[in-house]
Amino acid sequence: MNRGTIPIIARLQSLQTTARVAPGGARVIAEMSDPSPLTALLCEVNETMLGRSLTFESSAGSSLTLEVSGRRVLRLTGVNGIDGAESCLGAPALEDEHKDQVIKLLQAVAMPRNELRVIASGISREREGVSVGLPVALLADLLLIDLNRLEQPQAPEPESEYQPDQEPETVLLQKAEPDAPLPPEPEPFAETMPATGALLGRLARGVGPTLMAWLIVGGEEDGSTDGPEEMVSHLQGFLADEGEALTHQLDQITTAPGEPICIVLGATLAEGHSILCARSGEGLLLGVIEGDATQTLLRAWAAALG
Amino acid sequence: MGVIESLGAMVKAYPQARVVAFADLSSRMILASQGRDDVTQELLDVLCQQARTSFDDPLFSLSVEAFGEPHGAVVMGSDSLRVFLRSESEPADALCCICDHSIDLAGFVAKLRTTLEGITAGG
Repeated sequence: MNRGTIPIIARLQSLQTTARVAPGGARVIAEMSDPSPLTALLCEVNETMLGRSLTFESSAGSSLTLEVSGRRVLRLTGVNGIDGAESCLGAPALEDEHKDQVIKLLQAVAMPRNELRVIASGISREREGVSVGLPVALLADLLLIDLNRLEQPQAPEPESEYQPDQEPETVLLQKAEPDAPLPPEPEPFAETMPATGALLGRLARGVGPTLMAWLIVGGEEDGSTDGPEEMVSHLQGFLADEGEALTHQLDQITTAPGEPICIVLGATLAEGHSILCARSGEGLLLGVIEGDATQTLLRAWAAALG
Repeated sequence: MGVIESLGAMVKAYPQARVVAFADLSSRMILASQGRDDVTQELLDVLCQQARTSFDDPLFSLSVEAFGEPHGAVVMGSDSLRVFLRSESEPADALCCICDHSIDLAGFVAKLRTTLEGITAGG
């Protein structure tokens, strides 16, 4: 298959997928077991060519309404249960300056381990003037999401693997050992699999783009990095010089030996930059947060703990 | 409003805060605290020590290199989190808290900062 046909195959696969309609008429685009509802959300926008108002509803209770057209997010017209939408809500057209905020809002409504539904309706009135909006491809690039991800054929499950009374998360982990050949290795910061992987990787992915640079040393995801090379290199140098002292510092603030721990140090924690350091088992995560560390941190930690 | 009343107001506003304590980090002493009845003095002493360690090297030096002197720290464990805020005008003055994971961290930190500034300004 050449690269040019991948988007076509991905669209065809999407059309073949049977949609489930929830009570109330909303169409389910991501189940609770789906590792990346955010990918499903962006794909929905990517596959909407005509002007539409898309209301995304999470089973957690939050919702977001976007006017989209031609694979672009034109406007944010409704928010429920999510803070921090003031700068975007009601803007006549979303622009580049809104993209970080929009990403945070999308991440907030498309939380892993929650069902995500969509209701589509027409745009109520045509607006005059050019509305460029935010290309969904740009948002996907920033989140390292592949909009043309192809569904791999599911291998038949042996009877002993699936037990109906298991939590969906456990079933997902079991299915992570397929009999079929593995797909290509994902990018280090793969938003496509936020619910799997070791705790530190899940934490880094869960914090999202606010975590502007990070690396993991030791443990299952040893060598995973993301962010500007010079920042990652600086963090690597710090760990090489101060790794032992850092381990000792973490030992002194841990309440129980061996428990996972995460510390964030900031000037104010609510703005500017902060340093994030986490330890789980043999692994150490070190990173730099830009902006408000309090908004996503707790949620990401709770999700990473599982 | 006195120190005890200020701490009490924090606990009342955020029931997920198990304890809010005012500490002098230089002398390693908790000077006042409010919270749930099961918080012992030993726990408060450990909390104060953890606050000092959180603002210690090597992470302190890394923070200074990256953005300047840190005045806030959040330490998250498996069943609780601790929040430590140092006063910007009197860095030895700090508020040390143990909270449930369900707390509104953004709102709590903002109110905690205001409370600490009020306590420090009050002398």
